[in-house]
Amino acid sequence: MSRPTLWSTADMDEDLADAVDAELSMYAQQGQNPTIYDQLGAQIEQLEPFLAMQQHMAALAAVPDVVKSFIVSFHQAILNRDLPSITMFYTTTFPKLTDRFYSRVEWPEPEIIAPLLSSSEATEDQIHIFLVLYRDLYYRHVYSRLQPNIDDRFHSYENSCELFNYLLNSPSSADDESDEPAPVDLVLPEQWLWDIIDEFIYQFQVFCSWRSKVKSKTEDQLVMLADGTGVWSSYSVLNVLYSLIQKSKINEYIIALKEEQGKDDARSAEEIAESISPYTALPLYRTLGYFSVLGLLRVHVLLGDFTLALKVMDQVGEFLLGGSGFGAKANKSSLTALPALPATHISTHYYVGFCYMMLRRYPDAIRIFVTVLNFFQRMQRMRSYSGYERKDQYDQIAKTADRTLALYAMCHSLVLPGSPFTRLDDNITNTAKERYGDQMSRMSKGGSDALVAFEELFLYACPKFINANSPPYDDAEAIASLLNADPPESTEGTSPISTDPTQRHLRLFLASAGALSPLPTLRSFLHLYTSLTTEKLSSFLESVKVSEPDQEAAEGAEAEEEAIQEMMVLKQNSRSLSRVAPVQGKGNDSSSSGFSATGSLLDGEMISTSDLNFVIDDKTIHIAESTVGRRYAGWFIKNTERSQRVLDEIRGSPFPVPKVKIASGQKPGGPGAETANGSAAETTQKKAPTKTVAWGGAGMRTSVDGQ
Amino acid sequence: MASSWISPPTRTELIENLVSGVDRYNPSNVGILEDYLYHQTRTQEYDCLANLAILKLYQFNPDLYNPDVVIHILIKALGASPLPDFNLCISLLDERPVNASLDEDDPLPALLPVLNGLHHLLYRCRFPAFWRAYRSDQLSNLRDNYTVECAGFEESIREIVVRAVKSTFTRIGTDRLSLYLDLESPEDLKAYIDKLRWTMNSDGTVVSIPPNPDNQIEAIVVQESIKLPQLTKVISQAAKP
Repeated sequence: MSRPTLWSTADMDEDLADAVDAELSMYAQQGQNPTIYDQLGAQIEQLEPFLAMQQHMAALAAVPDVVKSFIVSFHQAILNRDLPSITMFYTTTFPKLTDRFYSRVEWPEPEIIAPLLSSSEATEDQIHIFLVLYRDLYYRHVYSRLQPNIDDRFHSYENSCELFNYLLNSPSSADDESDEPAPVDLVLPEQWLWDIIDEFIYQFQVFCSWRSKVKSKTEDQLVMLADGTGVWSSYSVLNVLYSLIQKSKINEYIIALKEEQGKDDARSAEEIAESISPYTALPLYRTLGYFSVLGLLRVHVLLGDFTLALKVMDQVGEFLLGGSGFGAKANKSSLTALPALPATHISTHYYVGFCYMMLRRYPDAIRIFVTVLNFFQRMQRMRSYSGYERKDQYDQIAKTADRTLALYAMCHSLVLPGSPFTRLDDNITNTAKERYGDQMSRMSKGGSDALVAFEELFLYACPKFINANSPPYDDAEAIASLLNADPPESTEGTSPISTDPTQRHLRLFLASAGALSPLPTLRSFLHLYTSLTTEKLSSFLESVKVSEPDQEAAEGAEAEEEAIQEMMVLKQNSRSLSRVAPVQGKGNDSSSSGFSATGSLLDGEMISTSDLNFVIDDKTIHIAESTVGRRYAGWFIKNTERSQRVLDEIRGSPFPVPKVKIASGQKPGGPGAETANGSAAETTQKKAPTKTVAWGGAGMRTSVDGQ
Repeated sequence: MASSWISPPTRTELIENLVSGVDRYNPSNVGILEDYLYHQTRTQEYDCLANLAILKLYQFNPDLYNPDVVIHILIKALGASPLPDFNLCISLLDERPVNASLDEDDPLPALLPVLNGLHHLLYRCRFPAFWRAYRSDQLSNLRDNYTVECAGFEESIREIVVRAVKSTFTRIGTDRLSLYLDLESPEDLKAYIDKLRWTMNSDGTVVSIPPNPDNQIEAIVVQESIKLPQLTKVISQAAKP
């Protein structure tokens, strides 16, 4: 009875074909997919149906009652579009039940629990989609707690396709005969939607790295992989994300929001959404579309395309990254129109920052990292952040934040010492030093030891890169030669195209970082002079041997030439593209003005990133340093505001009744007045303790508000 | 600065649509982009993002792979140093399927280390070493088969030199400059310097470089600048009766 809804293989073929949105047609080799599903279906068909049925009944009986009632209520909540209940079931009940019953085993298979659903008044379609959603949870649980086998990997892909296909290509309604797809009437919490996209990409990434390990495959697995070359193909994953973006018209929506901003009679976000398309009108699609943009960013990074990754963020980026932090004031009205989950925020900043790092735009990377690390620290301080009481989710976020911190430490060493960008946020720098102090000191020293430290951190903190294509499983000969090949070291040899994409990116990064390694020493010499001859500089450099070991020992004129070329490298690296022209005052004022001006994430101006500037006049080097003058404004503003608040408070309090007990409230000024009116204070000495507490309390509060 | 990199003024509308839209994934468009690349090699134009789109198609469709195109893209990217273009291109060169490289001679694996080496020399401003390596016998294959087709390749390298020199020097010795530019005869150098509107002193030993934002240095004390939004609270307080 449950079987038809679950293994309707005919549908699956359709799904895969349909998943290719006609206007998008991603040209995947989807045509090959149906065969594998036919096979899978056939294998299952071979089972004796009655036997299976009996087994299911027995299995269902074994499911704990509390789980059964959970499934029924969960189903009911989704039918009723009851968002608070769905959210509760999703974020609280499901994990709790997992811990209690299923920490080491799978949840009951969808076939087993299906009979529970038919008792309710749901239509077959509704039951079907619930099972798809249930299976989404089921497989996610398998991936996170257990070891997925090849069937799980294939089926989770197929289930994701089914889900996306349902969302994108459902016909408008049962009685309408037209084939025009229409939005589906489904309500899901934002967190779940994020998890769907996030998990989809995660499973894709895991599958790709699993697939690239040819040698560990069994015969059966080889056969299945040979037949299923379209499963988890890069094209199909991109297709899903682009289709969601296009259906939801999220970019158009954001552009409209931007245009509306600042207008007097601005329409509400809802009105704007409704005017764009029936899909955009639904939060479900808007949210999915938005998350798909962020998902694309991630997929492109995994595939090593850092420019395209930033390019897809053209519209979204300004909203997400525009302000100084989470819930930035500058864009408040628009930000509330887009979902803002901590996991989203941190992961997106991590990937954007990483792109900037690979584009050698270290100032931009640092700025992004600082923003998100500050956000994370604030989040840590309020651990009970709603929806994040779940430890596994929090751990995931904490891990990304830790890797972001490692990236920050690397960028901190890659902009030259003394650059304003090393001092962008001392608090974060100190945190990084506590965590990665050893690596940071090695990186800043330069030389080969620095490269080892860079390598350590890069391998720890980089995304899990993947190859876009599968090894040639469908080509028996090629795969046999791969299987029989010697370990890759001997065949690949010194070729810079490494089989492991991570190694390839690592080598590129190290080459860039290595070119900078002599610079800190060079800079430290320049720092001591306002002018010196190139000859003298080269003799200094000789004495510390900063030149790379691969250069033959240079002498005299050659050493001088070497020094001059290194100076050009230094010059070249004290300039960088930056999305934001530096706000020289830094600190508090990094929020609005500087950021709003620039648009796309790839855009930028050339800025100077160093506080030390120099120029060579034939044989003499002239050096000038920029220093930061003392800054008073912040202090004055803070204290003006504080005394203003104190004054207001005093004005607002009731006129004191001349009674000894309340006389303490009579104090005629702010904390500053306390000493001035010392004599007056003495008269009420007896009551002083309570009074100071009261003032102290007010003072504390204002200082908290002030920052 | 970055905007001409993101979208060079010479890019046609057709290419723009390919680069910015989802049509960039359509393998049947690879020909258009490849033609555009050959147009770039003939004309000294350069469009990094369009070339990356070719590599992206190769990444997803290994059967489209054309080593000559890849090499030309890398040569074009060399000329963009110190921008990271070269590395961005390499990032997209995925593992090649084994059988594809067995079929016929793929020149890329042999040339890639060479190009990498050249790029490294350029990135580290080792200009004399770059020219030595580039003119060496071992690289005759690269010169005779590839860079010769790329119009203005040497010119683009000299532009890199000029960018580096003009930001670092106010005056530079003629000998040094000629070494960097690989212009050995004084006449060539003189002509090149005149074209740049740089000036040589009377005895021809030192070249003066006109002032530009990068070779002007001064010691600055950065003063804080207070933005109006910082003062909003204070001002709004004053407005109260």
